[in-house]
Amino acid sequence: MLPLRSVCGGIWRAAVHTVRTSRGAPPYRLLSSTCDGAPAALADADTIFALSSGHGRCGVAVVRVSGPASATALRCMAGFTQRLPPPRTALLRSITDPRSTEVLDRGLVLWFPAPRSFSGEDSVEFHIHGGPAVITAVLQALGSVPGLRPAEAGEFTRRAFQAGKLGLTEVEGLGDLIHAETEAQRRQALRQMSGELGRLYQDWSDRLKRCLAHVEAFIDFSEDELIEDGVLNRVDVSVRDLQAEIERHLKDERRGERLRGGVQVVIAGATNAGKSSLLNKLCQRPAAIVSPIAGTTRDVVETALDLGGFPVLLSDTAGLRDSSDLVEREGVRRALERVEQADLTLVVVDSAHLPSEVDRAAAFLREHLSSVIRISRCLLVLNKADLLPEKQRQKLDMELRGVSGLPAVCLISCQTNEGLKDFLTVLHSSVKTLCGDPLFGAPTLTQARHRAHLQRCAAALAQYQRYRDTDLALAAEGVRVAVTSLGRITGRVGAEEILDIIFKDFCIGK
Amino acid sequence: MGCSSTKPHLAHVGHLAGHQYDVIVVGGGHAGTEAAAAAARVGAETLLITQKIHTIGALSCNPSLGGVGKGQLVKEVDALDGLCGRAGDWAGIHFSILNRRKGPAVWGPRAQLDRQRYRDFIQSELLSTPRLTVLEGSVEELLVTEPNPEEPGHHRVTGIRLANGSHAISARSVVLTTGTFLSGSLFVGQTTSPGGRIGDAPSSPGLSHTLRERLGLRTGRLRTGTPPRIVKDSVDLSLAKLHLPDSHPTPFSFLNTHTHCKPEEQLPCYLTFTTPGVERVVRESLQLNCHIQQDTKGPRYCPSIESRVLRFPGRSHQVWLEPEGVTSDLLYPQGLSMTMPPDIQLRLIREIPPMRRAEIHTPGYGVQYDFVCPTQLSPALQVKSTQGLFLAGQINGTTGYEEAAAQGLWAGANAARWALSMPTVTLSRTESYIGVLIDDLVSRGVTEPYRMFTSRAEFRTSLRPDNADLRLTPKGFEEVGCVSSVRYQESLRVRNSLQDALTALQALFLSTSSWKKKLPSVPISETKSTLLTGLDLLQYNDVTFEMLASAFPESLSSYMEFAQRLKIEAVYKPHCDLNKKEIERIQREENMSLPQDIDYFSLPVSLSDEVREILDRVRPSTLGAATRLEGITPAAVVNLLNYVRVTEKKKETHRNQRHQEAQRDEELCANSASLPQ
Repeated sequence: MLPLRSVCGGIWRAAVHTVRTSRGAPPYRLLSSTCDGAPAALADADTIFALSSGHGRCGVAVVRVSGPASATALRCMAGFTQRLPPPRTALLRSITDPRSTEVLDRGLVLWFPAPRSFSGEDSVEFHIHGGPAVITAVLQALGSVPGLRPAEAGEFTRRAFQAGKLGLTEVEGLGDLIHAETEAQRRQALRQMSGELGRLYQDWSDRLKRCLAHVEAFIDFSEDELIEDGVLNRVDVSVRDLQAEIERHLKDERRGERLRGGVQVVIAGATNAGKSSLLNKLCQRPAAIVSPIAGTTRDVVETALDLGGFPVLLSDTAGLRDSSDLVEREGVRRALERVEQADLTLVVVDSAHLPSEVDRAAAFLREHLSSVIRISRCLLVLNKADLLPEKQRQKLDMELRGVSGLPAVCLISCQTNEGLKDFLTVLHSSVKTLCGDPLFGAPTLTQARHRAHLQRCAAALAQYQRYRDTDLALAAEGVRVAVTSLGRITGRVGAEEILDIIFKDFCIGK
Repeated sequence: MGCSSTKPHLAHVGHLAGHQYDVIVVGGGHAGTEAAAAAARVGAETLLITQKIHTIGALSCNPSLGGVGKGQLVKEVDALDGLCGRAGDWAGIHFSILNRRKGPAVWGPRAQLDRQRYRDFIQSELLSTPRLTVLEGSVEELLVTEPNPEEPGHHRVTGIRLANGSHAISARSVVLTTGTFLSGSLFVGQTTSPGGRIGDAPSSPGLSHTLRERLGLRTGRLRTGTPPRIVKDSVDLSLAKLHLPDSHPTPFSFLNTHTHCKPEEQLPCYLTFTTPGVERVVRESLQLNCHIQQDTKGPRYCPSIESRVLRFPGRSHQVWLEPEGVTSDLLYPQGLSMTMPPDIQLRLIREIPPMRRAEIHTPGYGVQYDFVCPTQLSPALQVKSTQGLFLAGQINGTTGYEEAAAQGLWAGANAARWALSMPTVTLSRTESYIGVLIDDLVSRGVTEPYRMFTSRAEFRTSLRPDNADLRLTPKGFEEVGCVSSVRYQESLRVRNSLQDALTALQALFLSTSSWKKKLPSVPISETKSTLLTGLDLLQYNDVTFEMLASAFPESLSSYMEFAQRLKIEAVYKPHCDLNKKEIERIQREENMSLPQDIDYFSLPVSLSDEVREILDRVRPSTLGAATRLEGITPAAVVNLLNYVRVTEKKKETHRNQRHQEAQRDEELCANSASLPQ
């Protein structure tokens, strides 16, 4: 390989050098910016990590780390404070989360100092138990080590090539191997991307590309051409919205954590709708006191469930109503707080309270919902179906199936168990969606990768806001980085694509 | 800077019979003049052949240079010791930095030019360049022979034959910069005539025949156009909006501290707008306009008034009225390129208020011309299949003076290096706009005339107009040989001063409270308990280098001449540092070259048929170029990478073996020679 050229002349190199020597600070200080989500600034090369063994439940999983910060990862996750372990020797260690020092698993660690490793760089392998929760936890812990980021497809191999580690003998089989690797990744990505999440990312990506095209048009053409000033103001709004949405998504989207900690399912609704009865039905024991008196439940009643293999933390809450009773008011406040934090809310409604004209039911429910919850996902549970005449019940069932603006609706009776089986199926599939399916592909890996890219994307959009008024080139750089980061998830974007949008939207003439 | 007339190196055909040149450049436009000058600077005996010597350096279209993206190219051509930056400083009559408020990375240095002065400067430079001879003539055909078997390629160029008297002139390499003259046709209204520029003879069909039939090059057809020139006295400029130049003109060239034109002598431009009447005239005359009816690709960003009106109807479009020179009686209506019959052109311009009574001096016209699909070129701008043949400018599908000049310089320098048996050189898209331009051309090709935009450069924050000298001048001197030692020394002085100044700034290491005392007007947040360097401070919006220098005169005042550059360096440094890693990754890939003679279809690596076909068609010259091709998967790249590494290794061992064998043979000979008698 030919030697690298320094692009910007000697200036950058000299300046970087001075930072290091004049401050006398250890190199990790320079890397510390990774902690707040910004990409590592001055590291010589990224250190990458990924699940290297097969995906899905298995006995042992191998997580590989490669790059200059590998030793750091080994130190802070396998407790080697003094000396590093002897090279290429398996040692049984507790693997801890460097943030909380919580023990995540016990497993084998192997230390491969450069150049005698697969990639030719310093490398570490963690051989851990193959459960999705353990893998997720270890990957997320690695992600919190400064200088580490999830690997891109084929990146370990690329590094190995660049370090000259793969020679003549490896050549023949390697092509097929790589093909298989990327094919699997592609299929996996496709599977991940084809659903709701994929559409969401695609939508963000389209909006971002449009923002970028408009900023670029403003930079490249506004002096000589007619590009209205309003263009940039519209970009401001879009960028702000996108940033907020992505940040919200980053907070929302914690499937791995849910799987570990249990899905928070909260039962909420008006008093006397049968919330506690539903809880008791679900946990198959009288966990909550049930009485016909409105306002019986005043505090949050929690119980842990195994729902078809998924951990669920079910909470029953006080019925929502205005009350002068101090204790009950506190109960309502807590109920609403729970609903805020819920992954899934079961909004229970007394069927008898539905308007008798079935066609008004949807509107009624929509309004009712808006009084209970704001953003989180929910299911509508119409309890006490046994109190409705058979005909109205059937009509309701028909009327409310797939109505826009309403979540899934289940008509049940805790009294007669009517509809409970269907309800459980719906609940199970909702919880499954929330957790992701650990038996398929490796959602944990891609999640970690997505998360890193989305964080970078959000941070880059903040850069747009920061430079918007002082330096549009740097502001645009923020949008560019944001687009590239999203592009890493959804597919690449080239300059030509941006120019196509520019020419579609503007009349450019010198 | 000077424009003195020296004894011209003019040649007459009769003297050239049997003469051998290193480089022949065909064409005297922006590409040709830069190519000839660069080839001569590199050290090649160079011959420039052009139809008319007095049109060398003519601005065939707009009387201006630079702009957003294009200004960056001018700065880079200057950093490589090209002509157009200094010519612009000499001929400019209205200087302005576009995008002034949008950040230094996207500033667009631009100037309105005096056509006559520009031409004078270029001609005088060329005619006084050592090793460069200029010949008036028309090239009939390219002389081609069998290739040198040691190098890739199916043909080798040996010179050219002139149209009159069938004189052959031989050269090791030839640069074609024929502009719009390759099978060019001119269009006005319903009439069509052969030619590349109004007033000039069409070039010979022989050249285009050689390229297509003999060399088997794929060509395409593009179109462009130019507006009518307006008699200045017939325009009521009081009805247009006055547009003044910068009060302190900034020169293009890193060697100039001021422009030839004094600030107060600059001329203004005027802005006006089209009316609904303009749209009406366009629509009524469509059937009389054969240029616009054809579907040959024209530029999207420099469209004729016809296509502007048709694509975006019901709008008012900008028209700039620009001076053509200090003594010129003409105005150039930027934005009114048109091809309708002349009487209708007159009707159209008179629909615009300041031109109600305007007269046309020369009507606008359209040109259609052949270009050679540039994916057939190497990054040195050499035709891959033909040893010694280089192309630059519109023949490669680009538009614009700056794009042409940039390619011309690079093709000329490489043609000279080829002729002098030195390896050709490439510029990366990570280090220059010229690199972006060439890489886009040779690895993606064109479907419409290609123009530079800042948005095409991935590393825009690093490739700034202010640092073109740091990026390119040392390389131009040390690796290319196209830069004079005077300029090289100056660039080293600048680089060292900037480095020293940055070091001095970082050595200023104060607590926030001390900084507050030193710079009371700057809002420094107290919450940061950390120490800040002068460099950190310079990144603040409100802090200038001048402020720091007056606070610390002893360490900083000697760098005042670089105040603006230092401010820019400070602000952009964190972003350039972020770019650096990605740049290095790309450069690693770009440094791995793919042999030009690979048979992709039989390559013993795992590649899909689709990928093989793409690679065979485009023949990327480096792995980096391959990664940017559409349809190339990461797996394919890894496989190619592997192949390259392995073949390189094989070659190396082969070379070593041969070397060892040779040594052994020598030793044997030596031994046998020294055997006892």
